Amino acid sequence: MHRTVPSLPLAPSVKVKLINAGFQVASDLIDMRPLQLCKEAGISQEEAVEVLQMLRDDAQPHQQRAATESVTALDLLHQEQSLGSIVTFCSGLDNVLGGGVPVGKTTEICGAPGVGKTQLCMQLAVDVQIPVCFGGLGGKALYVDTEGSFLVQRVADMAKAAVQHCTLLAEDTEQKQALEELTVEKILSNLFLVRCHDYVELLAEVYLLPDFLSEHPEVRLIVIDSIAFPFRHDFEDLSQRTRLLNGLAQQLIQLATQHSLAVVLTNQMTTRVSNGQSKLVPALGESWGHAATQRLILHWEGLRRLASLYKSPSQMEATIQYQITVQGFRDATDEPRHASPSENYSKRPRMEDLS
Amino acid sequence: MEWEQFELNPRIIAAVKRAHFRSAKEILCVSGPDLQRLTRLSKTDVLRLHCAVAAAVRKTSPVTALQLIRGECPVLEPGHRLSFACPVLDGLMRGGLPLRGITELAGESAAGKTQFCLQLCLSVQYPEENGGLNSGAVYICTEDSFPIKRLLQLITQQSRLRPDLPPALIHSRRLTDSVYIEHAADLEALQACVSQRVPVLLKRGLVRLVVVDSVAALFRSEFQADEAVQRSRHLLAFSSTLHRLSHAYGAPVVCVNQVTDVMDGPNPGRCDYGLVGSKVLPALGIAWANQVMVRLMLTRLAGQVKSDSRSCASRKLEVVFAPHLPRASCLCGVWEEGVRGIPDDALHDE
Repeated sequence: MHRTVPSLPLAPSVKVKLINAGFQVASDLIDMRPLQLCKEAGISQEEAVEVLQMLRDDAQPHQQRAATESVTALDLLHQEQSLGSIVTFCSGLDNVLGGGVPVGKTTEICGAPGVGKTQLCMQLAVDVQIPVCFGGLGGKALYVDTEGSFLVQRVADMAKAAVQHCTLLAEDTEQKQALEELTVEKILSNLFLVRCHDYVELLAEVYLLPDFLSEHPEVRLIVIDSIAFPFRHDFEDLSQRTRLLNGLAQQLIQLATQHSLAVVLTNQMTTRVSNGQSKLVPALGESWGHAATQRLILHWEGLRRLASLYKSPSQMEATIQYQITVQGFRDATDEPRHASPSENYSKRPRMEDLS
Repeated sequence: MEWEQFELNPRIIAAVKRAHFRSAKEILCVSGPDLQRLTRLSKTDVLRLHCAVAAAVRKTSPVTALQLIRGECPVLEPGHRLSFACPVLDGLMRGGLPLRGITELAGESAAGKTQFCLQLCLSVQYPEENGGLNSGAVYICTEDSFPIKRLLQLITQQSRLRPDLPPALIHSRRLTDSVYIEHAADLEALQACVSQRVPVLLKRGLVRLVVVDSVAALFRSEFQADEAVQRSRHLLAFSSTLHRLSHAYGAPVVCVNQVTDVMDGPNPGRCDYGLVGSKVLPALGIAWANQVMVRLMLTRLAGQVKSDSRSCASRKLEVVFAPHLPRASCLCGVWEEGVRGIPDDALHDE
């Protein structure tokens, strides 16, 4: 109870009057009666009652503890490491991301049409379900589809390939037992789909996410494919769009940290002309670039498909090559299925044409 | 807006009315703290309000992929596609055109794009078990007039193209009756057609296929090179109307697109979609490409293909991108009875 009067959550005018009356510390006020305080400080009776009420609430121990609770950086590091990440089955990309798509953060995937954003999202929705004994998270996934490009036939292909991959890797009894339950049907039954036809439905869906997550606490991944599509047409007021997008980003990062899940958003590319030269940049504007924790840009270079980690708080910027096969999102080698990580990625500081 | 329909505390409803909110959209577009300020409700009340309004706006609750693949949600996953009326082409497309979303068919002039579209206009009229949608088609022409003679020729030759169908089925249908032809000479007419007349046909169940031949013609002619931003805006408005109709009625939309020449080498400002070595790219840029779900390219090749004792110029139909298809192509030919894929030479790129 050594809080000084200026630090109390009161209106400034009230604080000034209290200080002028000689009250410096909260403990000076605690034994006063409202009428006394009213006369001595020259504040109205209502204000006096409010001040004393606030002090009484403040004195309760659990609220005080909450105000001063802090965590050490070592605790945070352990927490982060225990959260895990979702593998992409492309070992090059997993290495670049530091293990996979991180849980507790938002990752944005940008790319031109057809480069593989939806494929990567579907792959993650399958991979999040890999049992813990195989190095996965054993969680469920929610896929929010705004473009209508979620075709379940393709997800079934990827699920089958994932089961086959795990079958090849299964060694000990625990893994073999987990494998018995891991069927294509089980994977499909743990993948939830919601379709939003415009931005209002998308906003509604995000408001309903906390309820959905409390009903399905095993969900470890939320994919929004794509967040750009509903926001890029019929928006005359761009400042409202920025405001709504920022609000969405804040809600999503809050959900990611509170419920320990990974949020993956896909974005489109648009052309920007500067100094007579045009280049492809992620859509939704400059301020949206700050929204996600990590940004991955998928692009073509001739016949090759490359993924560049463009923004990350913990990983170095790097570019790797990947391919899309019948089994899904994979490394760009001839062998589609292999257990050892491939060495075919190059670390380049900043790609010139993306700066 | 009837606020009483929401199961909310009357206090919350009164506050919403006092703040003059008129629709669910307005409430959802305002953040929590702003809503607290405008309605003077507490944080938990505002949360309840947002959840109640959101639940009303949401059309369907989440379903699992297992329910989709079992066909329990026909609205989200109909479980069948629109057939091309040729088993080789259907094989390339894993069944045919998806029922929801825009499919683009790009190619040079005389590649055969219109032939494909005419064939689809007939294929859609057969029952679902024969690969159709049991409904008609609306064909919007923006370039030349509708090739009515060719359509009539295709109709007379239907039994030759579709040996899988019983002849009685083909003859029982008046295939001309269900092809609705629209002409749009400028962008305004095109937008009016797509936002007024086409929805009427779709709502009455008269059509379940929309063909726009071609989408490039009007957008390229009506905008100058420096009006890229306006062109993008009109393109987005047009494509979002098509997208909305396609999803609301489960009707595939096929848009024919032209191509542009690729003169310089790789350009960082232009996306090549991995089409290295191609001298042409689909027109209308990345703004249009972002709206397209399935992109097909039709190229006329140098050689000839044979069927029975006839031969014609060989063409290649390539899947440039699609969410459910690999990069693949097949050869096809345009015959008297329609377009047929050639099975032996099915090529697989990448």
